[in-house]
Amino acid sequence: MKIEQYRIIEKSKFDDFINSLITFSKVVAPVYKGFKNYIFQEIKSAEQVSLKYIPTIIPPKKYFMPQRETILQFDVNNELKVEPIVEYENLVLFGVHTCDIAGIKCLNMVLSDKPKDTAYLIRKKHITIIGLECNDYCDEYASCSFVGAHIPTTGYDLMFTDLGDYFIVHIHSSKGTDIIEKTGIFKPAKDNNIEELRNLRAQKLKIFNNEVPTERRYLPDLFDRSFNASVWKELEQKCLSCGNCTAVCPTCYCFDIKDDVDLTLKVGERYRIWFSCQLDPFAKVAGGIDFRKERSARQRHRFYRKFRYHIDRYGMVFCTGCGRCSRTCMAKINLKEVLTSLIKESEAKIWRKWL
Amino acid sequence: MAKVVIKDSPYNVKRAKILDIKSLTEKEKLFKIVFEDRSWLDFEPGQFIMVSLAGIGEIPISVCSSPLNRHYFEICVRAVGKVTNSLHRLNVGDIIGVRGPYGNGFPIKMIEGHDLLIIAGGLGLAPLRSLILYAIDNRRDFGEIHMLLGCKTPKELLFVDEIEEWGRRMDLHFACTVDRADPDWKGNVGLITSLIPGVDIDPLRTYAAVVGPPIMYKFVIKELLAKGLPVDQILLSFERHMKCGMGKCGRCQIQNLYCCKDGPVFTFKEIMDMAEAL
Amino acid sequence: MSKPKVAFFDFACCEGCQLQVANIGELLIDVLDIIQVVEFREVMSEKWDGEFDVAFVEGSITDEHAVKRIKKIRERSKILVALGSCATIGGVNGMKNSFQLEEVGRYVYGEFYKFFPTIHTKAVHQVVKVDYFINGCPIYIPEFVTVLKSILQGIPYYVPEYPVCVECKLNENVCMYDRGLTCMGPVTKAGCNSWCINNGNICYGCRGLTINPNIEGFKEVLKNYKIPEDFLMKKIDMYNKCKELDKQ
Ligand SMILES: Cc1cc2nc3c(=O)[nH]c(=O)nc-3n(C[C@H](O)[C@H](O)[C@H](O)COP(=O)(O)OP(=O)(O)OC[C@H]3O[C@@H](n4cnc5c(N)ncnc54)[C@H](O)[C@@H]3O)c2cc1C
Ligand code: SF4
Ligand code: SF4
Ligand code: SF4
Ligand code: SF4
Ligand code: SF4
Ligand code: FES
Repeated sequence: MKIEQYRIIEKSKFDDFINSLITFSKVVAPVYKGFKNYIFQEIKSAEQVSLKYIPTIIPPKKYFMPQRETILQFDVNNELKVEPIVEYENLVLFGVHTCDIAGIKCLNMVLSDKPKDTAYLIRKKHITIIGLECNDYCDEYASCSFVGAHIPTTGYDLMFTDLGDYFIVHIHSSKGTDIIEKTGIFKPAKDNNIEELRNLRAQKLKIFNNEVPTERRYLPDLFDRSFNASVWKELEQKCLSCGNCTAVCPTCYCFDIKDDVDLTLKVGERYRIWFSCQLDPFAKVAGGIDFRKERSARQRHRFYRKFRYHIDRYGMVFCTGCGRCSRTCMAKINLKEVLTSLIKESEAKIWRKWL
Repeated sequence: MAKVVIKDSPYNVKRAKILDIKSLTEKEKLFKIVFEDRSWLDFEPGQFIMVSLAGIGEIPISVCSSPLNRHYFEICVRAVGKVTNSLHRLNVGDIIGVRGPYGNGFPIKMIEGHDLLIIAGGLGLAPLRSLILYAIDNRRDFGEIHMLLGCKTPKELLFVDEIEEWGRRMDLHFACTVDRADPDWKGNVGLITSLIPGVDIDPLRTYAAVVGPPIMYKFVIKELLAKGLPVDQILLSFERHMKCGMGKCGRCQIQNLYCCKDGPVFTFKEIMDMAEAL
Repeated sequence: MSKPKVAFFDFACCEGCQLQVANIGELLIDVLDIIQVVEFREVMSEKWDGEFDVAFVEGSITDEHAVKRIKKIRERSKILVALGSCATIGGVNGMKNSFQLEEVGRYVYGEFYKFFPTIHTKAVHQVVKVDYFINGCPIYIPEFVTVLKSILQGIPYYVPEYPVCVECKLNENVCMYDRGLTCMGPVTKAGCNSWCINNGNICYGCRGLTINPNIEGFKEVLKNYKIPEDFLMKKIDMYNKCKELDKQ
């Protein structure tokens, strides 16, 4: 911890900070929507911000890869004219939890893999991420420590950590420095501030336990053994294939591409829109053949996308432990429980082999 | 919200002109296409392109001409839905959008020096035609070449003129079958699998390239294994829904493989233990 | 190219969907730029006796007279579009099919019911071929416009094969279940852009069941939320009764 990278801001000054931020940039932050639901949305004043919030309905991926995004514009009035486009704006995301930062890192991995998704990269360049560390669990659905997403590491410009009367702020990029300078409210950190941050992190080690009874490094083995596990069959009956678990997941990025024209039928756009492996048409091909017809196969696919396939391809676990999928599922399909069942079943099998 | 044009977007399409259209059957048309800027589509047999009609959509289509043809490329399109029917309504001179090529085609370098057994069911002949033309153009680099073609009825036979020519060639072993004959049909009747036991191949020296409707694969593979072909010498091309062609949209995923990026051509070995593949 | 001739017809229904079309507001001028409306009882008295390029049919088919009439319309139309829940899935009229026909007749027409022969309520496609389906009670105007454009482009319009929840999540609504309400979204065909939920109402399933709905799983969900099972079945019956005729 290099002390010169840290600043502090008293809580009494927090509103001033947000209000000053708003004067020079569009700011997006978690806002309460009632019934224990929060969403990231543009704020016009500091009171709107919820500093204590559980993960929002949709993660901040919506700013990096919007639900519906124009990728091409065309005009066939005379002859085909096509222009690939990107729409972007300068944005400051305030209050992003470490799990959601991990989610953005997953998206970065995929969309900067070749061929690069130019539009994504441009949008990303214009977004500033100000993180907000969790000192305690958001709720019982979280499994961020299992995947190591509960402690800030990288992927943000500034990171706010609540230390009682004040926040300690880690500056991680020159974009972050700019904000510190422009708002002019921050004070240099002293040794005792760093000491308090260290204490908090030590305290967190006690609070955040491995939420799932295995370790991350055993995931590939576990999943290699679990393709025909009975858990999937149980999900067949429960799952409604509503796609909610994937829509809210910070690391889901599957999409559909469609065309739309205006009423002249000559001018229009091609757009991409979030789609989900849980939905019926996803893996269907001509002749009505569906390669993942059963809901169980689709659920299994979701879990393998999170915990197995992308480990080989991108060297990362594609779950941030944010708990959104479990929180949103009406059928009460719970990620931690599914993983636990897989582990139990797999252990039982291994024991049987030994005995 | 700022809006800028990004020419290097991977979704950008190149304008391409239809030079010629030929009806092959009631449902299939052959399009001869050239890029407007006269650039050359550098592809391998078995690769595909994304063909788009502005305002209607974009679909994956295999290139079916010889990769050595520098003047134009061809696609053979069956009219089944939105984009394909709209393509069928186009005329010579019309402009379409093309991006690609994408995917891994047939591993030519591996096949060269070996015998080649081509098994094409129905529209599967389209991507295989590209391989056949390549092999014919480079005939001396390949050993024996066997071709088995099958389709439902004689009316559905694609590339009839070429097939006749292939049938006459001395340096190709050729057999063709239809599921249901009509009175004029003089060839074999029966499923394509029925032709496999009869082909005279040296299984260890032979690569089989198989493309056809999904239901065909299981039966053909069974026959090929019975013949003694090694699992890594059976090449299959898969069809999946594809939206991006670049391993991103997830539509074509078969377990940890993306059909568009890692395929569409796979060896049987790669996918034999994979549920959801066949 | 002359503008396609378009007509609107109504059968057993509330005519709410035609009203939606008649009230599309600003878009109307642009729409009238590309089509010629030749018959539309809701807004004009003229009739047309030639061929229709496109016929929009609202309402379900509930008697022999209607069967004859819809067959005539089909013959005169190049493209036939079922408009609204009554036409696409039988809609609320389908509830009649839960009762014996005689009972229905007696209820509606009293002792003279025999003079008013009635048949099982049918969706339009259960009587004649339908080229395009626009679901909803009432229809959702943006979808109507999309279908209209598809027709003019000569391409099919596929009704989404996934539930309303998908659109609802993209709109980032607070889920009705979190509000302590029951919502038909998980088993209802999408395409309305979760219109009702966006406006603070539950989805009452007006577009009909999605393909391949997990009804048993949905019953479990309702059980968890302590909602009586027949609540669901009643809601499903409200719009989906005619579906049973598809199976026959
Ligand atoms: C690698 C690859 C190579 C290919 N090569 C060729 C080739 O060389 N030649 C060729 O002809 N084809 C080829 N195909 C197949 C081709 O891509 C498809 O036929 C094409 O995408 C169909 O597009 P469409 O818009 O015409 O059909 P769509 O309108 O998308 O529909 C296709 C079929 O599905 C049905 N359908 C689709 N969506 C729905 C829905 N929501 N509701 C109801 N029905 C629906 C339609 O009725 C129709 O029967 C290839 C595919 C792949 C993956
Ligand atoms: S949210 Fe639940 S019910 Fe819906 S698709 Fe996901 S697991 Fe299935
Ligand atoms: S799988 Fe669930 S817990 Fe994991 S990142 Fe996605 S929504 Fe969050
Ligand atoms: S999952 Fe972990 S990091 Fe994310 S909000 Fe909850 S406690 Fe914070
Ligand atoms: S409000 Fe209704 S449609 Fe929306 S997610 Fe909840 S159940 Fe689905
Ligand atoms: S939300 Fe439900 S009730 Fe409302 S229009 Fe859509 S399908 Fe109909
Ligand atoms: S087509 Fe998009 S991932 Fe393969």
